[in-house]
Amino acid sequence: MSTRRDLLAALVALAAAPSLSQAQTSGFLPGLDKDAARRIGEAWRKAHPGDTAKTLVAKLFPTGRGPEALPRLRRAMAADFRAGAIFAHRGWRLSNTEGALFALVSMET
Amino acid sequence: MAIIDARTLPDASHLEADLVIIGGGLAGITLAKELAGGPLKVVVLESGGREMEPETQALYAGACVQKADGNKDRPLHEFPVQSRVRALGGSGHVWGGKCGPLDPADFAERAWIPYSGWPISREAMQPYYDRACDMLEIDRFPPERPNAAEASLQPLALDARDGFFPAPRLFARISGRTDRPAFDRFRTQFAEAPNIDVYLYANVVRIRRERNTITGLDIACLDGKRHKAKATRYVLATGGIENVRLLLASDNLGNRHDLVGRFFQGHVTYSNDSDAQREGSAFAASRAEPLDLYAPALRYGPHCVIGAGLAAQKRMKTGNFTATLFRANFSNADAKVAAETQTISKVSAQLDKGQAQPNLLGFFAMTEHFPHPESRITLDQSQKDALGMPRVNLTWVHGKKDYDDLERSIDGLAAAMGAAGEGRLCWSLRRDELLASSNASRHHMGTTRMHADPRKGVVDADGRLHEANNLYVAGSSVFPTSGIVNPTLTILALTIRLADHLKSEKKAA
Ligand SMILES: Cc1cc2nc3c(=O)[nH]c(=O)nc-3n(C[C@H](O)[C@H](O)[C@H](O)COP(=O)(O)OP(=O)(O)OC[C@H]3O[C@@H](n4cnc5c(N)ncnc54)[C@H](O)[C@@H]3O)c2cc1C
Repeated sequence: MSTRRDLLAALVALAAAPSLSQAQTSGFLPGLDKDAARRIGEAWRKAHPGDTAKTLVAKLFPTGRGPEALPRLRRAMAADFRAGAIFAHRGWRLSNTEGALFALVSMET
Repeated sequence: MAIIDARTLPDASHLEADLVIIGGGLAGITLAKELAGGPLKVVVLESGGREMEPETQALYAGACVQKADGNKDRPLHEFPVQSRVRALGGSGHVWGGKCGPLDPADFAERAWIPYSGWPISREAMQPYYDRACDMLEIDRFPPERPNAAEASLQPLALDARDGFFPAPRLFARISGRTDRPAFDRFRTQFAEAPNIDVYLYANVVRIRRERNTITGLDIACLDGKRHKAKATRYVLATGGIENVRLLLASDNLGNRHDLVGRFFQGHVTYSNDSDAQREGSAFAASRAEPLDLYAPALRYGPHCVIGAGLAAQKRMKTGNFTATLFRANFSNADAKVAAETQTISKVSAQLDKGQAQPNLLGFFAMTEHFPHPESRITLDQSQKDALGMPRVNLTWVHGKKDYDDLERSIDGLAAAMGAAGEGRLCWSLRRDELLASSNASRHHMGTTRMHADPRKGVVDADGRLHEANNLYVAGSSVFPTSGIVNPTLTILALTIRLADHLKSEKKAA
């Protein structure tokens, strides 16, 4: 089971490489509205009721949360957009991968 | 030679010329300017005076209803009178001056779009677009895109295979609304040429013909005077609605194949604001730099829209589509919706480009309005204007394909932007809200469409009526398809092309 600490570490890893050190010191997305992120994640979960935090971690970070996590996520998002794997939330067209990330946030906050 | 008030002529005057231009709007004036100082004696017959006057403007009153797949009909009865100006200079009195050329795709015959294809290519139009730009005193639009200046403003880095591209738009100042002295020079100076006479308050109410030849025009003034005009050749340039009205009111002239008035196409824009349930139409750009190329600080400054080129259209099986970005205020949304919008855009910017601060913009969408035979102008014989002309009835139809393609194009653009890591698109309008949420532009196209085959078009590739050897039509009514860009630059370009044709015909004769 991933913990809130894990998730924060994951989010840090999501920052682009050049800003990684900055992100590590100042924290990733200092202004992130956790309630809003949770609501978005819950909306995704409604459409994907079977997923648990564990399955999401396995999907999103199959090789861990190291420096290659971000490029992998980017590839996954691009592949989603190309394949029409879209999560539409209040009109926003997000990739399914982003929806899953928000879902993970919603489970761990 | 002069600008003359037709009401000051003796009743039943006979005007004679080599060429009569019916209508002194931007199209009619462009033609007269091109012929000014030449060998042809030209008469321009204009319904209005120099300024808008209620009595003349009332001649434009009619009825209009918009109909769209899965939407409630929308009556727009003021549209015929409010979407144009009946005075010397026509709608040039109020037009916004927004200009751009049609895209190469707009001219192409596209197998997935019924009735598509022009008998002219974009390439062949280039010299006429150049001359139209010169006439409107704006920079030319070179065919290569993006040009160096645009490239330096960093276009969105979308995958070229997706087929979206930055399509440029400029604003001309020659408009009654923007630069009155420049507009006044544009609409009057040409009449100083020795071969040009302009008659104001001269309403053409009937085009007479014998077999395939136009033999004369009946003119009516609102004070009761009646005149006649006769020429070797005639050009009808009364605008995309009135061209139809005059043809139909002249014993169905040009309508042997029941095409006159059909295929009305009008651009509309689609967008919405946020409400308690959803975000409005928005684009969250993932890059930190402002997107000046698309959303300059000056709202009515030169900019690009994101257009769907032929490759995109082929791939998505859609028509033309553009997204216009603009700087918008996002602070008024419902608190929850606003917070989610901020969160989504921050996270996607962080994921895409490692940016902490996304760039939120508003956008509106436009799609090509497909030619539809039931989208049409007819005459209401029970309603007549002060000159006894039947009023127009416009049924403006958007079919299922119009809306299917709009939604597919939005999804296609959202996917292209997301895949390229350039940002996320928000589009929350439901299908059944599209008509009510749309804004009608004042572009009237397609009603005397151009086609080489008389069974498929009212005018030929030169703009000549298939049914008459000496009557030409100028204006957006000849557009077979509407594209998306505002039509006036193309109206001028086609009119300049027509002027060349008329000059060469004269030489040959
Ligand atoms: C508010 C507004 C904003 C616009 N903004 C833009 C824009 O930003 N970009 C763009 O490309 N386009 C814009 N347009 C559209 C643009 O104004 C028209 O495409 C253009 O002016 C059409 O020119 P025209 O000469 O073909 O027709 P018109 O301007 O309609 O001119 C027709 C002329 O014929 C005369 N006439 C009519 N009936 C008769 C008759 N029976 N006998 C004699 N004369 C007659 C009229 O008085 C008029 O002078 C806008 C229009 C409006 C109303």
